[in-house]
Amino acid sequence: MSEKAFVEVRDLKRVFDVSKPWLNRVLESAPKQYLKAVDGVSFDIRKGETFALVGESGSGKSTVARMVVGLLHPSGGTVSIDGVSMSDQAAAAERQRLRRRIQMIFQDPYASLNPRWRVGRIIAEPIRAFDIIQGDAAIEARVGELLSLVGLHPDDGKKFPHEFSGGQRQRIAIARALASNAEFIVCDEPTSALDVSVQAQILNLMRDLQEKFGLTYLFISHNLAVVRHMATRIGVMYLGRLVEVSDGKQLFAAPRHPYTRMLLDAVPDLAMIGKAREGVKGEIPNPINPPSGCTFHPRCPLVFDRCRVENPPVIDGVACHAVNEGRAAA
Amino acid sequence: MTQPVLSVQDLTVEFVTRRGTLRALDKVSFDIARGEVLGVVGESGAGKSVTGSAIIGLIDPPGRIAGGEVVLSGERVDHLPPEQMRRVRGKRIGMIFQDPLTSLNPLYRVGEQLIETIQTHTDLNAADARKRAIALLDEVGIPAPDRRIDGYPHEFSGGMRQRVVIALALCAEPEFIIADEPTTALDVSVQAQIIALIKRLCKERGTSVMLVTHDMGVIAETADRVAVMYAGRVAEIGPVREVIKQPLHPYTQGLMGAIPSIEGDASRLVQIPGAMPRLSSIPKGCAFNPRCSKVFDRCRVDRPELIDVGGHQVACHLYDKAQAPAGKTEIAA
Repeated sequence: MSEKAFVEVRDLKRVFDVSKPWLNRVLESAPKQYLKAVDGVSFDIRKGETFALVGESGSGKSTVARMVVGLLHPSGGTVSIDGVSMSDQAAAAERQRLRRRIQMIFQDPYASLNPRWRVGRIIAEPIRAFDIIQGDAAIEARVGELLSLVGLHPDDGKKFPHEFSGGQRQRIAIARALASNAEFIVCDEPTSALDVSVQAQILNLMRDLQEKFGLTYLFISHNLAVVRHMATRIGVMYLGRLVEVSDGKQLFAAPRHPYTRMLLDAVPDLAMIGKAREGVKGEIPNPINPPSGCTFHPRCPLVFDRCRVENPPVIDGVACHAVNEGRAAA
Repeated sequence: MTQPVLSVQDLTVEFVTRRGTLRALDKVSFDIARGEVLGVVGESGAGKSVTGSAIIGLIDPPGRIAGGEVVLSGERVDHLPPEQMRRVRGKRIGMIFQDPLTSLNPLYRVGEQLIETIQTHTDLNAADARKRAIALLDEVGIPAPDRRIDGYPHEFSGGMRQRVVIALALCAEPEFIIADEPTTALDVSVQAQIIALIKRLCKERGTSVMLVTHDMGVIAETADRVAVMYAGRVAEIGPVREVIKQPLHPYTQGLMGAIPSIEGDASRLVQIPGAMPRLSSIPKGCAFNPRCSKVFDRCRVDRPELIDVGGHQVACHLYDKAQAPAGKTEIAA
């Protein structure tokens, strides 16, 4: 890779303890149970690009997002942003300075804004927290500027969140993310709760802002069409593992991993009027007891003995024995 | 033309509130033929689900059907007394809801719920009803149905639960099924399976389906005809292919452009300014006029009625040749 990566994620892991309470375990002599939500995920995000993670529910995309911004501690592996490690104790002071440059936009704009605060105060919070601008008048002017940037009126700062529609609230969340002059924004399903016409407005706004400020996005979504529209590069997740990482256009033109192919086949699309499609087999297995070897093997059309035993490493962007051995000719 | 399974004429639903009467549905009319899947799309608040509830008579007070009629196979059902309506519902109209977990009772085995429904609507005895239930589970694609019938809903995955709900809707062999966002709570790979199932059942049994969803992709694959709703009114209705490929109503045109596709180029999405109006402040004339780029004087005064334009119907003054300003009629081309 010619450019240095802005965000580096290496072998990231997160295990959740999902055991029954202690008393039940003693009485039923049940063992502790662990859920590997994220199991060895590595990827790079270059400055100014949109890296998207797609996958079905339970694939671990949101867990990755939360570890990248530091809302969850990884069980293993490292995240470093602009060369600063997010977990290393030695880098604590530097990390403090880095925090300002990282923001997050959440899925549900009804839950992510404090209903008792006026919008102006919500947007000003990061400015005050990081002490970016001093003086109330200056902060108010900056809030007004941010509101007009996301397509709202500067006077809207005096209102409460309940006075806004879902799309407008997501604009407020974006304004708040920009308030600290963030460079890297993690967006966890930012448009899933919105209607299509409003979704289009928000996606367009996010792209405009990216162009204007050179933002870097980590974009989490289950909607392949949205990802196709937004992403420079895409990582496909299945049961806590990254199965394919590829350039955005290439992933849709020539998907390589059998899971990616299945996923692309399953998306209902406007272009599919009246066409028959190949059936999709099975469902995502229980992540507490994932299948051995490659976790996709029970649903995979290209499965063979090695897949049931050995977990395939990511080689050249794809984690699949069949692809690596050249047996997956499209 | 043969008699439609369901015919809705000028259906109007109102909610009386302290702040005045809100009109959730405003003169909605459509027909569904035998074995046909009619897709109903629209954004939240467009009145899709209210349409479904009104047809099966499940509008709760303060809501009420304020006008129009619902005719099921030639028989008017919107004025039936509750007890008679209860028999129509379930027996002649099946219902599939969005969240399979809330449409099944978590305290009863799946089999008990199926058998109860079958015995309510048919004369079968317990043993035959159980056989019937197993056959239904098999038909909707649940593996090992003779064992799974004794499972509780929580033992089924989301996709499997939705299959049980579909089996439940099919119990009494209804002539018409309302599916309200049947795949919204499911993952894409499972969604594809459920869509395929609904399509197959429709074909095999000749059941008509009204598929309510906000996902245009699902409609494109499943429906024969589609009705686009906006602010409680039908904006456009016609064969799926025509509505998607050549939308006539400016709202439908905007909606189609706003949907990101997995094919085509990743250019900018079409943006419709603003949002759907609240029910308390639906604009005069055409409900879409404040957001419409082709608005002209008449739109702000007269409400457009559905008019035939080459194969499908659209409620827009642009296509009313006698009235539209010169040169505006061919905008869609």
